[in-house]
Amino acid sequence: MKSFLRLHTLPLVGLAVAANLGLQLYLAVGELKGWGEINWMDVAGEGGSAVLALVWLILLLRSRPAGRVTRLLALGLSFIFFSWWMDTLDEFIQLPQLAVWDNWLETAPMPIGLLLLTIGIYHLNLEQRAISQQMSKREKLFREHRLFDKLTPLGAAEYLRQQIQHALIEARQTDQPLSLVAVDLDDFNAINLRYGLDEGDAVLQAIAQLLMLNLRRQDLLCRLAGDRFVAVLPGTGEAQARMIAEELQHAVASLAHRTARHGERVFLRASTAAVMALEDDPEQLLKRLNLGLAKAKQQLPRCA
Amino acid sequence: MTIGYECDTRFIAAHHQPVLLIDLAMSRGIDSHQLLRGTGVFYEDVTVGRAHLSPAQFLALISNASRLLDADDSSFLFGQRLLPGHYGEASHALNHACTLFQALERLQRLRALLSPLLTPRVLLDDKRAYLYWADSCGAADQQRFLAEASMTAVVAMCRQLSGERLPWRFHFSHEKPRYVEQYWVHLSEDLTFDSQLTLMIVPREYLHRPWPNASTTAGQVAEQASLAQLASHTWHCSFLDQLYEYLRANIREPLNLERVAQAFGMSPASFKRKLQKHGTHFQEQLDLARKHVALYLYQIKGYGNEEVAAYLRFNDTTNFRRSFKRWTGIVPSGLRQLFG
Repeated sequence: MKSFLRLHTLPLVGLAVAANLGLQLYLAVGELKGWGEINWMDVAGEGGSAVLALVWLILLLRSRPAGRVTRLLALGLSFIFFSWWMDTLDEFIQLPQLAVWDNWLETAPMPIGLLLLTIGIYHLNLEQRAISQQMSKREKLFREHRLFDKLTPLGAAEYLRQQIQHALIEARQTDQPLSLVAVDLDDFNAINLRYGLDEGDAVLQAIAQLLMLNLRRQDLLCRLAGDRFVAVLPGTGEAQARMIAEELQHAVASLAHRTARHGERVFLRASTAAVMALEDDPEQLLKRLNLGLAKAKQQLPRCA
Repeated sequence: MTIGYECDTRFIAAHHQPVLLIDLAMSRGIDSHQLLRGTGVFYEDVTVGRAHLSPAQFLALISNASRLLDADDSSFLFGQRLLPGHYGEASHALNHACTLFQALERLQRLRALLSPLLTPRVLLDDKRAYLYWADSCGAADQQRFLAEASMTAVVAMCRQLSGERLPWRFHFSHEKPRYVEQYWVHLSEDLTFDSQLTLMIVPREYLHRPWPNASTTAGQVAEQASLAQLASHTWHCSFLDQLYEYLRANIREPLNLERVAQAFGMSPASFKRKLQKHGTHFQEQLDLARKHVALYLYQIKGYGNEEVAAYLRFNDTTNFRRSFKRWTGIVPSGLRQLFG
């Protein structure tokens, strides 16, 4: 909350000052209405709208870093709030008939606010496209923040299942092959035991980035669970998937990860498996992938 | 006989199993006060090694931790560090186990120190070794967490001490969870849910393969020392565990609440209260013991319906089949090769 206030001091203070000035102005010119004269329906409608605009503003400022798009959206919402605020004050304070400017204070900010908001949303749209570009190997078409992995910037198992489902349908429609590749670190638990959970987490984050760098634009990487990652490779046959799996395996083996505490080199190795989708559903496909991985793990040398 | 530990016996050193969970939660940024709320201990006491938890308090800690962590892998990450652990002589005894068989035997014998909430039991037939788990103190909602953690612990320990991956197969009495991928990664692909037992199976040939880095003598000494430590408690297992063993040993005798209470040197009323405290009742425990005997006779001894019914002193098979259905939810014929 503290950082939120510090980050957005200017717009919030500005809005408070403007709202207060409006109130002072009305009080100076007009007279308070009696209880009987107040139309409570209007108060509820206009006041409620003002409160909602304020809630939007706060939610917006809380969720976004400061910047041009945030500024535009915040300014637009501020104008909208101000317009509704003056509208509400109108219900409590009787202004002299001659005053025309009060109408301006109530009505004019609304179109300005809406215009600013529209420009803001337009730029938000551009910004979102840029972000989607950055997210390209981690997210496809569909966003659900509840399915994000908590540790790595990837989707988790449930997101993976949904995406495999989509990919299977698309593969069938376009008559293209679809393959999955799994990457699982060898003896990852030993890293957790030896260097601690924090270091284990750091390794997983590094591996997530590394694997993403080694995938193509159309691929999607998710973290299934623990130290097991799964990549969905559209338009890829089994032979090519196997090649990609091998490349990922090499990439992991040549990553020189160093511990945060002592800068000690951690040697990593991974087992991989690749499967091509046949006539199966996501669950069967994942099962085959896991069996392939179990087979690969069994061929590992016994290490003491 | 002296009564085993109960759900409110404060004997689990907070710096043994509980601290692993506390460390896990704190490494994920969870506040220690929130974590220990309702457990009756303070973090300061844990750090100086003074605090002891009862099973019920440990279960409260588990409940807090899994709620606050809100992640599917909590029980597995906790389990990976549980065994052999850092619990003094008992952990040494595991560390110096020469074979899987010896490790499992010690795990069973020293269970009050190594696995106080979930009782491990070992069973062998000519092809396989079975390790099945039973509730020690009335874990209720935390059963699944405990099963996940305990099985992961054994898998991780065997991996670490033997240096090889053992081909474990798993049975769980709970239904298939939404996050089955955690089981794949931390246990294995060979999983059966909605099973009669919480059970792990390994081919018998792995039982007597020598494990590297073990010292026979050091292991024996550590085991003796741990047994002496247990003897000072006057019990070696939990009350429910004791009852189960008594029922299994006397399963062919006529059993009822009064008789068993007398054998435990208690009045039927206080015996009943003690069971109630652990969230169970006499009939449930008796049915559990009889179900396990029946499963043992079918699966391991290869008995037929008549033989099992006769062994358990049922007068006719129809009656037995009805009881069996009540214990397990299936008829005996649906059982064939359940764990085979």
